[in-house]
Amino acid sequence: MRNDLPKVLMLGWEFPPIINGGLGVACHDLSSAMSEMANITMIVPKTSPDFKMRNMNLVGINNIDPAFFNSFPSNYRKPFPFGLHMVSSDINPYYSETSTFGIEGAHSFVNSKGQLNGFSIDSLYGGDVIGKVMHYAEITSQLAKNIDFDVIHAHDWMTMIAGMKIKEETGKPLVMHIHSLEVDRSGPENKGWVYQLEKTGMESADLLVPVSNFTANIITKYYGISKNKIQVVHNGSVPVKTFKSKRPFKEKTVLFVGRLTRQKGPEKFLDIAARVLEKDPDVRFVMAGVGDYFRPVLEKSSYKSIGNRFHLTGFLNQEKLHYLFSVSDVYCMPSVSEPFGLSAIEAAQFGIPCVISKQSGVAEVLNGSLMFDFWDDNKAAGHILNLLHDKTLRKKVVEDASINLQNISWKISAEKIMNAYSSNQFITTK
Amino acid sequence: MPSVCFYFQVHQPFRLRNYSFFDIGRSHYYEDDTKNREIMDKVSEKCYLPTNRKMLDLIRRHNGNFRISYSISGTALEQFALYRPDVLQSFIDLANTGCVEFLSETYSHSLSFIYSKPEFVRQVQKHSEVIKKYFGQEPKVFRNTELIYNNELASFIEGMGYKGIICEGVDRLLNGRTPNFIYRPVNNINVKLLLKNHRLSDDIAFRFSDKNWKEWPLTVDKFKNWVFDIAGNGETINLFMDYETFGEHQWESTGIFNFLDHLPGEILSHPDFNFKTPSEVIDAYPARDVYDAHNFTSWADTERDLSAWLSNSMQHESAKRIFSIESDIKSCNDPELLNVWERLQTSDHFYYMCTKFWSDGDVHKYFSPYDSPYEAYMYFMNSFSDLECILKNKLKKTKVKQKPKAPQEEPSVLAAVLES
Repeated sequence: MRNDLPKVLMLGWEFPPIINGGLGVACHDLSSAMSEMANITMIVPKTSPDFKMRNMNLVGINNIDPAFFNSFPSNYRKPFPFGLHMVSSDINPYYSETSTFGIEGAHSFVNSKGQLNGFSIDSLYGGDVIGKVMHYAEITSQLAKNIDFDVIHAHDWMTMIAGMKIKEETGKPLVMHIHSLEVDRSGPENKGWVYQLEKTGMESADLLVPVSNFTANIITKYYGISKNKIQVVHNGSVPVKTFKSKRPFKEKTVLFVGRLTRQKGPEKFLDIAARVLEKDPDVRFVMAGVGDYFRPVLEKSSYKSIGNRFHLTGFLNQEKLHYLFSVSDVYCMPSVSEPFGLSAIEAAQFGIPCVISKQSGVAEVLNGSLMFDFWDDNKAAGHILNLLHDKTLRKKVVEDASINLQNISWKISAEKIMNAYSSNQFITTK
Repeated sequence: MPSVCFYFQVHQPFRLRNYSFFDIGRSHYYEDDTKNREIMDKVSEKCYLPTNRKMLDLIRRHNGNFRISYSISGTALEQFALYRPDVLQSFIDLANTGCVEFLSETYSHSLSFIYSKPEFVRQVQKHSEVIKKYFGQEPKVFRNTELIYNNELASFIEGMGYKGIICEGVDRLLNGRTPNFIYRPVNNINVKLLLKNHRLSDDIAFRFSDKNWKEWPLTVDKFKNWVFDIAGNGETINLFMDYETFGEHQWESTGIFNFLDHLPGEILSHPDFNFKTPSEVIDAYPARDVYDAHNFTSWADTERDLSAWLSNSMQHESAKRIFSIESDIKSCNDPELLNVWERLQTSDHFYYMCTKFWSDGDVHKYFSPYDSPYEAYMYFMNSFSDLECILKNKLKKTKVKQKPKAPQEEPSVLAAVLES
């Protein structure tokens, strides 16, 4: 650690190798890039003990010495700030295959002796997720007492309570990085517990860092928060070793990668596929991912009678995913509301032209792509057909995307965040 | 003098493996050999071998007065030959007693009658040939896959020269009448219909070990009296069931073999009752009334219709797809390709895709090798996609080789059959 660097306390939820979606990847890649410019302590609920980060103090609560918890005085009990009360509940904001159904009961984070319990966690989003979030806040705020830092940097709603609590106890500035919002996941009509938490959290933060202008607009429009404390920092990307493979079949291939949930527009992909196949039957559509739309989409594909051209692969590991990228001709991302959309960047890295919805953050940085409003499957189908049949267009889109990629890196994102820290006087620049 | 007519269905499909999207174009083998062999071994040990031994013993014990019939699908016969020649031999031994009749059906236990008459005829003929080869009989009575039946089938089957058809005695069509007579179809068609007595048949096949059934436990004495009650209002009591009832669906521990052991003797103890095979029943009794099945019926599920195989969109899509490539497959003149296609027609594939989740759902689940109907659909469609790729390549090659011919009319097997 270098003493002359600013010190950042990061609060994360997902972290490799335990990830569910883009959040874990983004947190990891961003903090790695920032670790060149700041001393970072990252606290997450769960890490693998073998997983080490260079230049970074990575704390997995599951690996904390039990003695830490025994050090709490008996009758330990701290009230939460902002009038929060614990109510046992069961919600599942992200779809997860392993999530358990049925109410597990709220986590008890204080044992019978009044000491703080250790953090046992099976799945990040399964079971009593609110209990886990509160428990995380409790432990993190205790850990923070022994950590020296200038800024609190929290990622998404799961760590917001922790961020607010630490801010209240230490008076340090709170930055909230917004990767995804309840409005994206459940639609603007849904104003439940998570929405309320996000609103309270963002109101009490000193600076909000959404991953796109698209998300910044949602923050102002649906959460009523002033533009003045928002600074957009687009996600970066990590260079990957790309390759091309020979397709084992003749048909050109259009790919979708993502959770099969409402937010990602899996049914839109199906409608687009049906439109394309009306014009060109020699195309295959492949959906990689799992989610609660898996069965409805599969059934609808048979209903539309495109079963022999529409394939669902289920959950794939990275090797299989990269193979899919290597045989695909077009990447299609029909998200209904996508804060960023890292998978489109990955597709672009593989030299695949992207057809992406305008309701996404990645559309702001990937000009080398064809865009459509997520509801306009005619337009999307037209884009796909053009890319499949017009070599000149295809070449142009791929070339433009490769130019865009040069300006997309985590180093650039990290620099922007550091600048935001200093322009807001959270840190002093030397 | 009423007769008891036993017919047992023997069928095993070639189940598909978990054939994923990544296999398309890479692996052209769709079947799960391990699972198919495993199941064949299990059912052979639990059912086929012990039941065949019992049947042989009963036929000998009653000096030929105990008579039964089987319909064995072509895919089951292939698997016997492949994995369990001992089972095949035990069926041949039964055939040699002269007390056992073998019925006709589609070779791959398929839904071909619904989708393609030429393919239906081809499969029925292929099946008859293999029955003749193994058992030395020319089938005279037809039973369609899972007793799928309607008036059209009756007229078609009569055209093919059969004298009788096995079908379900569907309550809504019998409309209060008894299934215990021979019926005839509408429109002066003379082929005779043997209707399954589903109450007595299912008492053995489904309810035998059901402890919630008020008649449990089912004794030979009780059953015998139900059969004897029919005297005076019936000529044939048709007990049709899956052969796997013995030892597989009803385990040995339920007492099913003991039941089977004593039933023929008790029935024959009544001077007015005897056993006949379907052909013998047809020769012995006249048709007493008309059985009008305008829509398709079957013996499956509580609906007794096609919904076990063709009710949701996945089933319709996959079945439609497999028959859509018929003319391309046949134009290749490649026996191996034809075999692959024929096996994909097996009705079980569509049965596994069924999403009806009532008490019938349990039965579907029991038989399915997959975790869900959705998986069954995916593996089937992926396999189909690969077959489609192979077919495309083949057709391309043959087109390059041969000069394009003037489009030929497909030889109408159907017309030929109906003319004769």
